[in-house]
Amino acid sequence: MSGASSTRGRFRAFALLPVAVAMAAPLLVACSRDGEDAASKPGTVTFPEAASPFVAFDVWVRVGSQHDPAGKEGLAVLTAALLAAGSSQDDPYPSILEQLYPMAADYSAFVDKEMTTFRGVVHRDNLDGYYRLLRNAILRPAFAAEDFERVKRQQLDYVERGRRFQRDEELSKELLFAMAYRGTPYAHPEEGTVRSVRGLTLDDARDFYRRHYTRDSVVVGIGGGYPEGFPARARTDFDALPPGEVPAVPPPQPRRPAGIEVLIVEKDTDATAISLGFPIDVVRGDDDYWPLFLAASWLGEHRSSFGRLYQVLREQRGMNYGDYAYVEAFPLGFTTMDRPINVARRSQLFEVWIRPVSGTGGENGDDLHDRALFATRAALREVGRLADGGVPAEQVERTKTYLGNNAVTFGATLLRRLGFAIDDAFYGLPDPGFLRSVRERVGALDTEAVAGAVGRHLRSDGLYLVFVTRDAAALREKLLAGEPTPIRYAGEQPPEVLAEDNEIASSRLAVTADAIEIVDISGVFEGDGPAAAEATADESRGTSAGGS
Amino acid sequence: MRSTFLASLLLAAPLVLASGAHGQPSAGGVFPYPYERVDLDNGLRAYLIRAGAPGQVAYVTIVRTGSRDEVEAGKTGFAHFFEHVMFRGTARHPSYDKVAEGMGASFNATTGNDRTVYYLVAASEHLSQIVDLEADRFQRLSYEESAFRTEAGAVLGEYQNNAYSPFFVLDRVMRETAFEEHTYRHQTIGFEADVRAMPEGYAHSLDFYRRHYRPENTVVVLVGDFDLAGARRLIEEHYGGWERGYQSPQIPPEPPQRASRERTVRYPGRTLPIVSLNFKAPAWSATDRLAVATEVLGAVAFGPNSDLYRRLVLQEQRLQFLAPSFDLARDPSVVTVAAMVNDPADLEPMRAELLAEVRRLREGPVDAGQLEATKSNMKYSFLMGLETAQGVAFSLSQPVISTGGIEAIEDWFETLAAVTADDLREAARRYLDENGLTAVTLIEAGGAS
Repeated sequence: MSGASSTRGRFRAFALLPVAVAMAAPLLVACSRDGEDAASKPGTVTFPEAASPFVAFDVWVRVGSQHDPAGKEGLAVLTAALLAAGSSQDDPYPSILEQLYPMAADYSAFVDKEMTTFRGVVHRDNLDGYYRLLRNAILRPAFAAEDFERVKRQQLDYVERGRRFQRDEELSKELLFAMAYRGTPYAHPEEGTVRSVRGLTLDDARDFYRRHYTRDSVVVGIGGGYPEGFPARARTDFDALPPGEVPAVPPPQPRRPAGIEVLIVEKDTDATAISLGFPIDVVRGDDDYWPLFLAASWLGEHRSSFGRLYQVLREQRGMNYGDYAYVEAFPLGFTTMDRPINVARRSQLFEVWIRPVSGTGGENGDDLHDRALFATRAALREVGRLADGGVPAEQVERTKTYLGNNAVTFGATLLRRLGFAIDDAFYGLPDPGFLRSVRERVGALDTEAVAGAVGRHLRSDGLYLVFVTRDAAALREKLLAGEPTPIRYAGEQPPEVLAEDNEIASSRLAVTADAIEIVDISGVFEGDGPAAAEATADESRGTSAGGS
Repeated sequence: MRSTFLASLLLAAPLVLASGAHGQPSAGGVFPYPYERVDLDNGLRAYLIRAGAPGQVAYVTIVRTGSRDEVEAGKTGFAHFFEHVMFRGTARHPSYDKVAEGMGASFNATTGNDRTVYYLVAASEHLSQIVDLEADRFQRLSYEESAFRTEAGAVLGEYQNNAYSPFFVLDRVMRETAFEEHTYRHQTIGFEADVRAMPEGYAHSLDFYRRHYRPENTVVVLVGDFDLAGARRLIEEHYGGWERGYQSPQIPPEPPQRASRERTVRYPGRTLPIVSLNFKAPAWSATDRLAVATEVLGAVAFGPNSDLYRRLVLQEQRLQFLAPSFDLARDPSVVTVAAMVNDPADLEPMRAELLAEVRRLREGPVDAGQLEATKSNMKYSFLMGLETAQGVAFSLSQPVISTGGIEAIEDWFETLAAVTADDLREAARRYLDENGLTAVTLIEAGGAS
């Protein structure tokens, strides 16, 4: 029986919670990549921690959903899932599960736009048996018909039902990315659409594997307390793959709208999920990355009370559970407090996540949409103030202190430290890499640097805006009417909050009729509906061997 | 800050603080780290455990109160709501968040059926400030009614985050059906009407704090890299003046269930059908062989290595998933096996298969190899949960919830080692009894899936 926090596995009850935190972080241990370590070879990223009782694997394949052929969206996911949750030529899948089970270990595949990773951790007592299974899964997949049927059915259930009904806030984010990347290889959700997944065949997967899983496209990441010489032996194993480069896909060129483009998903719900954002021309490694990193933290640090949006919307007004801002993709944020690994991309959005805002009902009448628009207006107002005025000087210092201290928690676990090193390889970051640069790079920022970067990249007028709510037509009318959307409170509020409320409620939110699209939940990512409904991304859910 | 940085530079090895550290090593036990226990006169207990990464500490406070303790009508969800209120500050630290953020700490809390757990992870150099900050709010929390009402809005938002998931709906109905009297009848988040009424509960919140947030009901688990003697002094200094006063609620016992119960939930969205079989189960125990055997049963019979999983999920592919949840709780609760059925027409046959497996468990002993593999799985699951300081503290929570201390963890593993195939059969006979069954089926409201 589970409580508010789900529990599985007696003594690991909390380990699976989306709790944050971290500790660990021996951020300064040697991390060598691509041949710097005598034990490693090209195509290897190692993160040795000799005293650790664990060994972590992060095998990176340079292929992602952007490589899905047209009409076969979801193929990269299906292929990876077939490897991670299917038979190898050496062991049928039930036998793999049987061997992993006593180790309490598993491995999972994660597919993002540009990357596929196979990740897992094992106690070093069990390293040999575990590694053999992981290696064979990637190098010698069986492509068994029964595995294909099972994995495809799961993927199809997800795109037909789970994505649409389990978590509106995640759906709103996927739709935001689909809108922003419409017409580019980033547009479709990693899992594909209902129509595309239905059409996928075993031969599609076999062919996709043959073309993309090559010696040159695979980077073997290994960390922890592995024996001497182990990474080099592993790399030699992976060199058995045939040579070949994965075909290059040009970086996406997303369109930045002049005004506000809105998608409303019609769904029977008592709360409105809201996502908004726009493309930015900055990725990790660019000069403006660190000032934007700081600005996003100040505006909306992920799932922390630190951010300005959280303070304005949740702490002062109790409108919802939280409100956050991002300059890098953060799929599945509702499941974790930790920054993601292995979702490195060549194009990013500036994104605001407003968690579901419910109506208060009762004597306030049906205020569901007024409250959704108030929250949206408040968020846009904050984004606009940031874009125009930067981060106030004392807040820059406060954020530098916060991030400087908090950075040690980014690499909470061995697998996370290894994952960040893999991402460094993706972005071509030199030593000491992202994790060990945060403190120094953030510490070197000043008010002018932050203001300059946000002035160059952020704005509150040209953006995409997604609502998942009931009575979409009424929300559309309310948006077009442009009237103030005040809210009421269950308790007293100080005069300064009420005064600010007046400004927020009537702040400009200009949308034209032709910029609003309405889609019923039943058509979202169907694959044959309006453009936005057929695009989008999902969360690169892991599919795994090893059960729970 | 600088000293932390240097400490990290010099001490590169995580998880090796055990050997040679002070305190009692756990000789021959499964738990690999030495620890010290501090018992104050007022009943507060603290465990000081040296483990995890150098230069960091996880400060975890477990209050042995959860949604189980919500006995008052109209106040379901209050333990969780109060967890939020605990971040609203004190006279001395009007903003908890600001102090914690100043340390760069990661902090949060979670509430469950049987406990509320607060955690804060930060650099070791902040330990004295951490103890001060945490001890202060557990003794001298101070918040205005207006702030209380505002926080209620955040809880309603949290309720809405997943209120439409089929799994949430299923769990709600299962509890209402399986329990008539005991407070496990409601979910930790509470009934929606009670959540919406939370702004009116200010007076109740003061009373709740007074009755539950007391030293005899609280266990501190400090894990990380710190000086033992210094930490003990800090605990004594900051918690010594906390007055006793815990009032244990009168939780109505659940009357014995005499016949199986059944419910069908019509879900308004899209989902494949889900069948959930729930059996009345004993309270968690570290020493009761049949209780531990019950926990083992779920994995043996329905886990990813089970015969049933192999046949119904992998070979015949009639199930989308098969998921046992056989964790026990502080009071007698239920153990659950849930399955999502690929073909709605196959719902009844699948339910019959699950029940047939339950009957088989009552009749014949399970495979000895399967039992041994499961014991190994449980041991390594535990060890792999100990990677971080916070993980160490959380891995020890169930013994704390049930016994008030962590020592029972070793008893549990000793009992586990002794569990036999006959014990599993006996546990199945006793607890997987169809008279104690609550079967809930969730299907699409529209009929077909």
